[in-house]
Amino acid sequence: MTDIASPDLTRPTRTPEFEKRMRKRYRSERNFKLMGQGAIVFSVAVLVFLLGNMLMNGIGGFQRAELTVPIDFVESGLVGDEVSLTAPSAVQILEIQGLPEIVKRYAERAVGEEGAEQMSDQAWRDVAAALQSDPSIINSTSEVFYLPAGSDLAAGLAGEGSPEIQALAQRLEAEGTLGENWDWGFMTRSDATSPQAVGIWGALKGSILTMLVTIALAFPIGILSALYLEEYAPKNRWTDLIEVSINNLAAVPSIIFGLLGLAVFLTVFPNLRSAPLIGGMTLALMTMPVIVISGRNAIKAVPPSIRDGALAVGASPVQVVFHHVLPLALPGMLTGTIIGMARALGETAPLLMIGMRAFVATPPSDFTSPATVLPVQIFLWSDEIDQGFVERTSAAIIVLLLFLLLMNGLAIYLRNKFEKTW
Amino acid sequence: MTLIHDKIKADQSAKMKARDVSVYYGSKKAIDEVSIDISPDYVTAFIGPSGCGKSTFLRCFNRMNDTIPVARVDGLIELDGENIHSDAMDVVQLRARVGMVFQKPNPFPKSIYENIAYGPKIHGLAEKKPDLDTVVEKSLTRAGLWDEVKDRLDDSGTALSGGQQQRLCIARAIAVDPEVILMDEPASALDPIATAKIEELIDELSGRYAIVIVTHSMQQAARVSQRTAFFHLGKMVEYGPTSDIFTNPIEERTKDYITGRYG
Repeated sequence: MTDIASPDLTRPTRTPEFEKRMRKRYRSERNFKLMGQGAIVFSVAVLVFLLGNMLMNGIGGFQRAELTVPIDFVESGLVGDEVSLTAPSAVQILEIQGLPEIVKRYAERAVGEEGAEQMSDQAWRDVAAALQSDPSIINSTSEVFYLPAGSDLAAGLAGEGSPEIQALAQRLEAEGTLGENWDWGFMTRSDATSPQAVGIWGALKGSILTMLVTIALAFPIGILSALYLEEYAPKNRWTDLIEVSINNLAAVPSIIFGLLGLAVFLTVFPNLRSAPLIGGMTLALMTMPVIVISGRNAIKAVPPSIRDGALAVGASPVQVVFHHVLPLALPGMLTGTIIGMARALGETAPLLMIGMRAFVATPPSDFTSPATVLPVQIFLWSDEIDQGFVERTSAAIIVLLLFLLLMNGLAIYLRNKFEKTW
Repeated sequence: MTLIHDKIKADQSAKMKARDVSVYYGSKKAIDEVSIDISPDYVTAFIGPSGCGKSTFLRCFNRMNDTIPVARVDGLIELDGENIHSDAMDVVQLRARVGMVFQKPNPFPKSIYENIAYGPKIHGLAEKKPDLDTVVEKSLTRAGLWDEVKDRLDDSGTALSGGQQQRLCIARAIAVDPEVILMDEPASALDPIATAKIEELIDELSGRYAIVIVTHSMQQAARVSQRTAFFHLGKMVEYGPTSDIFTNPIEERTKDYITGRYG
């Protein structure tokens, strides 16, 4: 027991060469770790920069330059009551009664002739909307309105445009009659020609309706296809062909699906151009292969022992599928659906082909009325020349991202709810 | 050739009969013309080295090989004189009559209660809650698990220990009151204590059900079975009373296997 302490340095694992190799191995491991960390830091930095930039720009998009204008309706001589002001034709009636001129007159009183000149032409529509939603204010003698400034004045307030307008903007701001206000109307209005008057609701509602059609078609069809192909279909040349086709469909550029929608759906339903129904059908075609592929993988991941166990107590194949395989595969299927739906939500190209790029100033009332969707709206606004649209575009992007987050959050919640361990 | 010991040659009361059964996986022959009678009163053990086809043969008795697309079964298998491959025999009904327990415990990822109640529910054997409660308690009691789980029937079946999971699977199999229970190496994934409990359980269940057990442990076959069939390379070499197979095998290959020369 005496020679235990003396190490035998002639063993191959105790030589200096071995230790050198060890050091080299550790070094390469450290390098690999560093590279990985670098990659993550880089991507996080890019993401933070992107989101930060968008938020900075986008916050401005949720605000607008507004003039403070008090209006005395009693003095103005405007007539109307509960019934006439809530009628569908109320806006026209108010216009005939000269509401645009009345608003202009009170604006001149509040901010002077120069200032009123720079008010948005459509500002009276805000007053009309306020009268519609609350007819009682027609009896008010000093109702204060925050009316949108014209795009020149808005630019002046932001420090751009001609020196005269900038000076005017500074003067009005100092008087307290012009300012950047939080624009809640952005969430309730629709597309317009002036960046001061646009809103996102039309496009948001269009997106919601389109997504509803997409998921209603793509989810059941995708899941049923996946179940049939995985559980029932015989393995032969035909099913191989179907599998290859589905895999190829998932890789087809999205604009091709737009062409298909144009050629097939719009030929069958020529009156539904720009409708969320057609948009949803087109996007469903695009989403379905993704759901089928992820669904099949989720089904394959269900352990065969569970199937055996169910078969061995005498479950029929349909019972095995619906009692055991589907509940276990559902979380995986939902993951695929999230990916597919997120892709569909951000899709622009195929929708351009079926006419969803039209200027739509009213939110769609149902699945068959003309609509546009968030990404197309962003695309359209980014094409506008007016400076004010830059901020509005960023704001629309934020709305799109929030909608996406909300949708994914819901799907992840559902997935976790169904998730089981075995 | 197969040697069938004289004592069981004249067994007329067989619960299940196999005659010249061959199983092919594609072009490979996994089981070669095996004939055997399964007695309702005894535990029958299939022993043999790995890959000899004993599990494949076991899966013929409840047609679990149907689930393997490349597998093909030839020959005649009867349950109470009825051909299990005939059109008159429904495979769902067959599996309700011939239950199975697998090598790896495979409880459903549902509650313990649901695991047991599932079979009776889908077969409509017990529809109402009190009836189901009775079946669950009876099955768990028979499987020797009731006292351990009666306070947590709503817990997931997968939260139990390996041995408990396997007894849960046995309880699940007996919940539909089968006539035959097939066990495919039921204790090979368990520790010695859990194994002992399973063996005890098999002992208690024998007589009430015809039991066929595949095992690669000769000691286990000796402990739990009254009949033993020795398989080698897809053929049944020898079939007889367990005591004879272990103490007085006729075939040289059987002798070599049980004395530990190979396997």
